Amino acid sequence: MNLIREIWQSIVRRDPLSTDKGKSELVFLNVWLHIHPAKVKKENMKFRHTFYLGFITFFLFLILLTTGIALMVYYRPYPPQAYQDMKDLQFVVFMGPFLRNMHRWAAHGMVICVFLHMCRVFYTGSYKKPRQFNWVIGVLLLLLTLGLSFTGYLLPWDQLAYWAITVGTNIGSYAPLIGGQVRELLLGGHSVGEGALIRFYVLHVAVLPALMILLTIVHFWRVRKDGGLSRPIWKLKPKTEALVTIGAPAAAAPLQAAAASKEKTYGLMEVVTGKPIFETVTPEEEEDSVFSYPYAFVREAVVLMATVTTVMTMSLLLNAPLEELANPAKTPNPAKAPWYFLGLQELVSHSALLGGVVAPALMVLALLAIPYLDRNPSRRLGDRKMILLLFSIFVFANLALIVVGTFFRGPGWALIPPWVHVVGGAE
Amino acid sequence: MERKLQITFFALSLLALALILAAGWQANTPSWKTYQRDYLQLEAQGEPNEVTKAAVLATPPEIHQVLLPGLQRVDRCTTCHLGVEPFRYHAGLGPHVPSRFGCTICHGGQGLATDKEGAHGNVAFWPNPLLSKDYIRASCGRCHKEGEVPGVPELTEGRRLFETQGCRGCHKLNGVGGSIGPDLTGEGANRRSPEWLEKHFLAPNAVSAGSAMPNFHFIKEQARDLTYYMLSLTNEEMGSYFSSVRLIPSAEYGRQLFVEKNCIACHAIGGVGAKTAPDLLGVIKRHSTEWLDEQLVNPELVYPGSAMPEYDLETNARKALVAYLASATPEDAQLILSKKTRTMTPEDVAIEAGKQDFARFGCVGCHGTELQGGVANPNAQGGEVPSLLHVSDDYTKDEVIGIIRNGRVPPLDNAAGPAPPLYMPSWKHVLSDEDINRIADYLWSKQQKQKDAW
Repeated sequence: MNLIREIWQSIVRRDPLSTDKGKSELVFLNVWLHIHPAKVKKENMKFRHTFYLGFITFFLFLILLTTGIALMVYYRPYPPQAYQDMKDLQFVVFMGPFLRNMHRWAAHGMVICVFLHMCRVFYTGSYKKPRQFNWVIGVLLLLLTLGLSFTGYLLPWDQLAYWAITVGTNIGSYAPLIGGQVRELLLGGHSVGEGALIRFYVLHVAVLPALMILLTIVHFWRVRKDGGLSRPIWKLKPKTEALVTIGAPAAAAPLQAAAASKEKTYGLMEVVTGKPIFETVTPEEEEDSVFSYPYAFVREAVVLMATVTTVMTMSLLLNAPLEELANPAKTPNPAKAPWYFLGLQELVSHSALLGGVVAPALMVLALLAIPYLDRNPSRRLGDRKMILLLFSIFVFANLALIVVGTFFRGPGWALIPPWVHVVGGAE
Repeated sequence: MERKLQITFFALSLLALALILAAGWQANTPSWKTYQRDYLQLEAQGEPNEVTKAAVLATPPEIHQVLLPGLQRVDRCTTCHLGVEPFRYHAGLGPHVPSRFGCTICHGGQGLATDKEGAHGNVAFWPNPLLSKDYIRASCGRCHKEGEVPGVPELTEGRRLFETQGCRGCHKLNGVGGSIGPDLTGEGANRRSPEWLEKHFLAPNAVSAGSAMPNFHFIKEQARDLTYYMLSLTNEEMGSYFSSVRLIPSAEYGRQLFVEKNCIACHAIGGVGAKTAPDLLGVIKRHSTEWLDEQLVNPELVYPGSAMPEYDLETNARKALVAYLASATPEDAQLILSKKTRTMTPEDVAIEAGKQDFARFGCVGCHGTELQGGVANPNAQGGEVPSLLHVSDDYTKDEVIGIIRNGRVPPLDNAAGPAPPLYMPSWKHVLSDEDINRIADYLWSKQQKQKDAW
């Protein structure tokens, strides 16, 4: 019995969870949990502050990693076997359809949640100093998510995949000078074929996930190092002129150590001078905090299980689409890009250069530059009317273009409302 | 609050477990297992004693499949249709044993699927649903792409109609043909039901409104023949074994071609026949088979200035002709000749070549096999494709050659109305000048006869 206790102690190496020290050690002695602070502010855990969108996105990514690895076991990335493997997943692999459905629905969900997460961060002004760079990392993660979804789109090697990628890569080729070469590099040829499939596969299962994991680590690290989650906007003091850095000593002044209480012990590596880059907290706010265990962890666990059960329920009820085997000789009319690029395709239908190159390039640049262009230090909604309006126009224009491209475009990219039935093309 | 969250967490975890179990249960109870169980019970009834009965019933459920890499397919039909072999005799298979050919190559359907709807292929995004009994034989043409297919006269006739009625004038097939109508390469994999196709051939407008396709006034049998041919055009990539095993190029087939193409009108065999072209007796001793094949593909390549027309013969048709020439005798030539009356002069040969081109490139589709025209073309002047019987009254030969070379949009009947669906395509990129001249010669030869008849 003592031996078992000793083994357990050697693994966890912490005090019992009934003590505050145990609760803290649970977090900072554990490599996986120490991305959390030992204590979190009560207000920051409120659902209506973040809607836990970052967590949901991360959990969807975990689902995608696990189901993706399982799917790799059944998949050969060369045509036409790739398509046959899809059929085998559908008809003979045990729980194959469930696996593929989970991967597909989680992927779409991740695109949506990344976008919503970005909107939340924008509307709460959380990209402002000192979190500017983490916003930039976030935009890169959004692009990676789109890249992962786009490369995965080709892998089933059906008509849907083939033509969506053909259209999608054509959009990219409108870039002057380099567009054609980039497309050729991506496809390994002039059109979507065997070369494109293996390249997309390598990007999808190795290159992009690796980048995604690396940048996610940076993203999480910066959340902590930039002072944790931003404060909910309803907790902001009215009409603040400057950033909330209460309690920070003036520049170049020596850091004053608080009198050590008898309950707490501190380990200090070195005493340095200077102003910390992150928000610091007042003693009252300290009082407003609770231990991450169990308060934050139970909430995250609920969100995790809610995400998993939602994806599972969808996967039981809805099957991922699989059309005919890819056929380069038979173009569907209209051939459509994946839904999140349909806004772009809609723009391209009006002007290839403006819609396919200038507009997306400007959009990405603008997103990256937002925290540096927006000089207004206030996070209060009332102080930011102009930029909120601009961003809302950006969001709704994107959504509107996607809706038009998805539902209102018929054969020949003609404007046809979804409730009008079109009799199939030329007989 | 905290208590509620903990309860929610456990409830959601239980739900997740239940969902996994549900997915597992769904995966573990496919319909094919039910079919196999029922089948085993039937089989067990016939067993004489309890021991063997139990052994039969203990057979584990499993997917049965025939792997056919050469045919690019995996057929799992026998997973449910367990009784196909050995308990039921599948008649008339010849060499096409299921273990080497599977089921779907003839029957259609989705061999990979293991549920009824999916396997029978009547689902979205499967181009080859199960063919009904009446049309299964059309599948023979998927591999037997050339020549006559024994037991399927419909296919032979369908192919003949396609090549003689001028379908290629509007439709592309394997890269050759016009672009007024849809490309028919792979038409058999377009999910059109055989019934639709048949109706379409009888009256194109009945099933696809506003179709530019003329009504060819086919009879029911011809519509069926063409339907067979269309269903066989699946354009599948198959292993070389299957795509090379076609009709055996027999001497009989060669003789049939020899008669059909009227070779005896120019050539002789052992002095029996015409003297316009070389005597063919012993020709296979004078030339290699490759040389003869080349000669049949493109006579001018071998003999620049050769008057011999291009007959557009398929590989095996050429092989069959060579096989016939190896065994041809003057007596046989006499027999063939006795059924012919007319021999040809070099001018006749050029005109015959023009006639071949006129049929081969699909001119007959609109202008008619007898140059009678008359195919409806709404809002064109006269409302139909013009007859070419009196073309020399209205045009000079050079003008006609110009129209063939450059194409022509017919003058409108009502200038405000829509453009007529049919128009004369430009042929200069398809046909050589010589071909065009020959066609003009052919047209003029018909004029002469008309005028003689006057």
